[in-house]
Amino acid sequence: MRRSIKEKTAPYVLLSPYLFMLFVFFGYAFLRCFYFSFTEYDLFAPPQWVGFKNYLNLIQDFQFGLALKNSLQFAVIVTTLQTVLALLLAVILNQKIKGIRFFRALYYMPSITSSAVVTLIFMWLFQKKGLVNYLLTSLKNGYRIIAVFFGLLLMFQAFLVIGEKLKKRPVSCFEPSYLFLAVVLSFMVTFFLVKTGIVTMVEGLPPVETVWLNTKKIWPRNHRLFGISYPLGSIMLLNIWTTAPTFMLLYLAGLQDIPKELYEAAAVDGATKIKTFWYVVRPQLRNITFLVVTMGLISTLQMFDQVAIIGDQAPLDAVITLAYYVYINAFPSSVSPKIGMASAAAVFLGLLTLIIVLIQRIVVNAGEGD
Amino acid sequence: MKKSFAGVCLFLLLVVALFSTVSAARVQVRISGWGGSDQPIIEEMLRLYVTPALEKEGITVLYEPIADDFQRYIVNALSANTAPDLFYMDIFWAQSLIQAGQVEPLDSYIAKSKLLKKEDFIPSLLDAFSHQGKVYGIPKDFNTLALFYNKDLFDLAGVAYPDEHDTWDTFARKMEAVSKLDGVYGLALQPEFARMGALAYAAGFKTFEQNGKSNLFHPGFKAALEWYTGLAKSRAGIMPADLGQSWGGGAFGTEEVAACIEGAWVIGHLKDQAPNLNYGATFLPKAPSTGKRGNLIFCVAWGMNKESKHKQAAFKVLEQLTSPEVQQWILERGLALPSRVALTDNPYFKQNDREAQANYIVFRGASEGNVEPFSFGENGGRWMDPINEALRAIMSGELSVEEGLREAQFRLDQEMQR
Amino acid sequence: MTKRKVDTVKLLSEEEMLEIKLKRHRWYKVGMVYLVLLLVSILAIGPFFFGLLSSLKDNPLEWPPKLTVNQLKPANWVAAFRLSKAGCGKGFFGEFAPGAVIPFQVTYQVPAGKEPVIPQVVVPKRVPGTAGAALLIEHYAADYFRVSAVQEVKRESLADHSIRVTYEFTIHHTGDVVCDRLPLDITVPLGQQFVGATIDPNRPNERLGRVQSWNNLTAGVIPYIFYNYHRVFSENYSRTTGKNLFTSWIRNSFIICIARVLTNLLFASMAGFALARLKFRGKNTIFLLMLFSMMIPAQVTFISNYLVLRDGVFGLSRIFGVNTLLNSYSGLIVSGLVSASSVFIMKQFFEGLSSSLEEAARIDGASTYQILFRIFLPLAKPALGALTILTFQGVWNEFFWPLVVLTSPQDRFTLTIGLLSFRRMYGVAFDWGPILAGSVISALPLVVLFVVFQRYFVEGISFTGVKG
Repeated sequence: MRRSIKEKTAPYVLLSPYLFMLFVFFGYAFLRCFYFSFTEYDLFAPPQWVGFKNYLNLIQDFQFGLALKNSLQFAVIVTTLQTVLALLLAVILNQKIKGIRFFRALYYMPSITSSAVVTLIFMWLFQKKGLVNYLLTSLKNGYRIIAVFFGLLLMFQAFLVIGEKLKKRPVSCFEPSYLFLAVVLSFMVTFFLVKTGIVTMVEGLPPVETVWLNTKKIWPRNHRLFGISYPLGSIMLLNIWTTAPTFMLLYLAGLQDIPKELYEAAAVDGATKIKTFWYVVRPQLRNITFLVVTMGLISTLQMFDQVAIIGDQAPLDAVITLAYYVYINAFPSSVSPKIGMASAAAVFLGLLTLIIVLIQRIVVNAGEGD
Repeated sequence: MKKSFAGVCLFLLLVVALFSTVSAARVQVRISGWGGSDQPIIEEMLRLYVTPALEKEGITVLYEPIADDFQRYIVNALSANTAPDLFYMDIFWAQSLIQAGQVEPLDSYIAKSKLLKKEDFIPSLLDAFSHQGKVYGIPKDFNTLALFYNKDLFDLAGVAYPDEHDTWDTFARKMEAVSKLDGVYGLALQPEFARMGALAYAAGFKTFEQNGKSNLFHPGFKAALEWYTGLAKSRAGIMPADLGQSWGGGAFGTEEVAACIEGAWVIGHLKDQAPNLNYGATFLPKAPSTGKRGNLIFCVAWGMNKESKHKQAAFKVLEQLTSPEVQQWILERGLALPSRVALTDNPYFKQNDREAQANYIVFRGASEGNVEPFSFGENGGRWMDPINEALRAIMSGELSVEEGLREAQFRLDQEMQR
Repeated sequence: MTKRKVDTVKLLSEEEMLEIKLKRHRWYKVGMVYLVLLLVSILAIGPFFFGLLSSLKDNPLEWPPKLTVNQLKPANWVAAFRLSKAGCGKGFFGEFAPGAVIPFQVTYQVPAGKEPVIPQVVVPKRVPGTAGAALLIEHYAADYFRVSAVQEVKRESLADHSIRVTYEFTIHHTGDVVCDRLPLDITVPLGQQFVGATIDPNRPNERLGRVQSWNNLTAGVIPYIFYNYHRVFSENYSRTTGKNLFTSWIRNSFIICIARVLTNLLFASMAGFALARLKFRGKNTIFLLMLFSMMIPAQVTFISNYLVLRDGVFGLSRIFGVNTLLNSYSGLIVSGLVSASSVFIMKQFFEGLSSSLEEAARIDGASTYQILFRIFLPLAKPALGALTILTFQGVWNEFFWPLVVLTSPQDRFTLTIGLLSFRRMYGVAFDWGPILAGSVISALPLVVLFVVFQRYFVEGISFTGVKG
């Protein structure tokens, strides 16, 4: 009997530390936030019940609309691209060659550094006179060199492939080993041509001086609803860069879990690499993709650090997200806190996250049908 | 209710006062301000002046520096009842705390004080920390805007230095002329009301009109906006961001601009980043329409926690922190500009030293022409956002002046309805 | 050789064709893969690498951005060593000591037809404008120096008739106190171009090239190369307690990280095990609530959580004689005992284990606790390893919550918050050197951790988040 009681309470005993956290630092906090959202509260005087006033104010607030738009754009685009990139990186890294562990560590680097450090470096890269514009200028002024390089590449590849065909050997136009040879050869020839001054950079073109951060310009132009502001786009790139490696590890683990036999079977059936990936690998990764997309959506909807750190380097309207909107209402510059407004926006953000994740789940479930 | 509350407060106060005098127990007064460079300054000040002066009264002082967002810290700490007895109040947000009833009015203390008198302090500073006729903060130091210019560049271009007789027009011509130099722009134009506002005030603009609204179509504001953004059309002016700098002082230090509008904070920056820069400082140019100059006052004061348990002791510390000796020391070390009127004729300012002379210009800026505090009523910093945004958009060619004004007024009206 | 080739063309069987194909593929593996890997590596660590380089530079914001750094030139190392040796007899960490005689050479160039002017040499009284350093200097070299006459030692005409002249002088210490730094300014007329000096100047082009200035000639090799890093440690200590702030922050970060890793490991295993392996009422509700909590942004809960910590978790902390958990390690640890995602990871892992062991143990009469701690936990090493690193990384980089909880005194900060105070202190002067240096130091432990445990990490992950 004693043993039975001990056994019966065991789950709760084991769970108790987590339940404490869940109830105190989540449940209680969540309910209080919900309550605050119906009040006016400046942290000094006790909260005053005001009904739905905060929510009505929210709907009418121009900035809230911008925050909502930016957050949605950010979540959808970043989640999509970072998932694709993570998978790509994982495929690249899924090799059994010397030094691959070194490369894995290297690729993961963007994910381990803190967002503050990374954002500072990115701010510097995206200055009007920063490295990004510097590289773009070099590309623009060096278009002749680039053209020569690709021309040579094409020539070498054609030469090698035709030579092989003449010998009646089976070879595809994109034979990778020749491609590699062609890349190396044309790089060497181009390098030689540039060094000897036969091919030169174009002089006199105006340098690229795109303002990336301190602007409200949008792309594509004139699409007020769907256009992405330049600074937000820059933050998107930054975010994709920092989070893709994390998800890459998940995919990598997934890829390594796929039994060898599957690949071998596909090879025996004569499937190409791309077909193998699509019909063999992709279905095996479905669970991971679901996880990656869900985690991606949740974290992108909460995006905060980068906006906070970029600060006055970009117009607030162009980068404000819902999470940041909550923050600047809770701690507005130079006036008393508006905990009510902040809480209402926070509740909205929470609901939005739930809805989007649910939609994604439904879409995935529907996709599993076939 | 309020009266009885005040009564209770007074009673407690008396009890505390009696208690502290009778028992003469050691009282620790906690004071709090910024971290960073303020920390060594305040700690040194405590060590040299405050602690020795209060030792026999049994008062010790502990400085608690706050590294980040001080306003947020103090709001949280006040609400949590963990706030220090004395704390920094920036002119920018002081009113929000005062109006929330979190700051102790100081009039009754000042009335009894032998060391601290209202008339000793620069009136415009004291006003900024007053509410409904009561004083809530004693200014510890302040800053205004001055025009800093690079003497070498003007010499090289053969252009006369900007001086106190300049109006916007003559000044713009000088900027135009000096920007003929290779790789040099005229004035650094930060797209911020915190710079351009001084010009708008010069031309007669008022932050709030009689009806409590802000009118950006005021001719003074419009003229200032047109002049300021107009400089950016040629090389006579440029946004620091376009030079890869985040503020005017940065571009000034690298000698990419010939002049910038900044406060005394730029001096510290130049000491580190361009210690040999041959610069001068003068007043901002006058508005041609009014013949006056304008300026903004940036100021930090000491405020007292309303819930403090050692109010009398805290006030004694406050007296020491703003005493003439301490202010003299601050000035002579070139750390900040003190807030006492009597220091106007201080020999420090008369030195033949560019830093001292620049400090003097900034010091005098507080009483030259239309001077307004850097604070914006109930709207706080958000009041400036639409204007800053318009400045940026106009100067980068995204909007015309007219469009920018309309957009800013629309957003401002919306903001003020919140 | 030619003959064999001809042969292969002639006799091309299926098998041989496949062999040729496979051979090419090996080619492809080696060449193309490494090429792609290298190219992507540039993207992955390029920015970080640049941050690292810039943290050594005198001016991290220089334009155009250059890959060469004065501090990494061996010639400068040798010069720094010699100058410091002359300054105080020590080469690695130097100062300007009484009796020092410091020889110095500088070379200028003037265009054809102009006569070079002898430069003016001054040891300036340079007061750092910002940060704690402003009040830390006791003795200025400017008060205790004498410069010998500046002498021309070498003159050469270049191909375009411009003249290049080298000058030499010595700086003597005339007093009897030790100065911790020896700054130097050399002034020439406009148009006289600086070519080189014993050691590269920190600012070669002040006043349009008229002034070359050096921060500290006698710094010594280490402070010279790691100037910004040296400043991070030497300029930051609490004036009230005398403790070095930066080392305190590192220690605090480690303490909090280790404590939270341990509590997370233990409590997440317990909760994950219960959720994965046991049947009890309310299980689904708890699990759903957990998933829900993972979706809710921190912005929703932080206000209430702040108030909870402030009141010592409903006054419970009073039992231990503490009124508030703000500004304390315990506050950060209590509010982060175990996170939902840790529980989730452990639950996923335990669900993936086979149930035969558990059943066997139950038949042997083992209790639930025994099953968890004797059988399942030892099997969970990979998951625990991954959780350790994930938690450590998360806590180490945590920013928002420590910022709310820790406000004063400064030596209670964690590294991230400390770095923020750096931004306040140095950022106002756009003095990015120490900020970048501090960032690099704060990233180091994670880099080391990852490089050492990398394999464990990748393998661990395959047992955790994925198999669901």
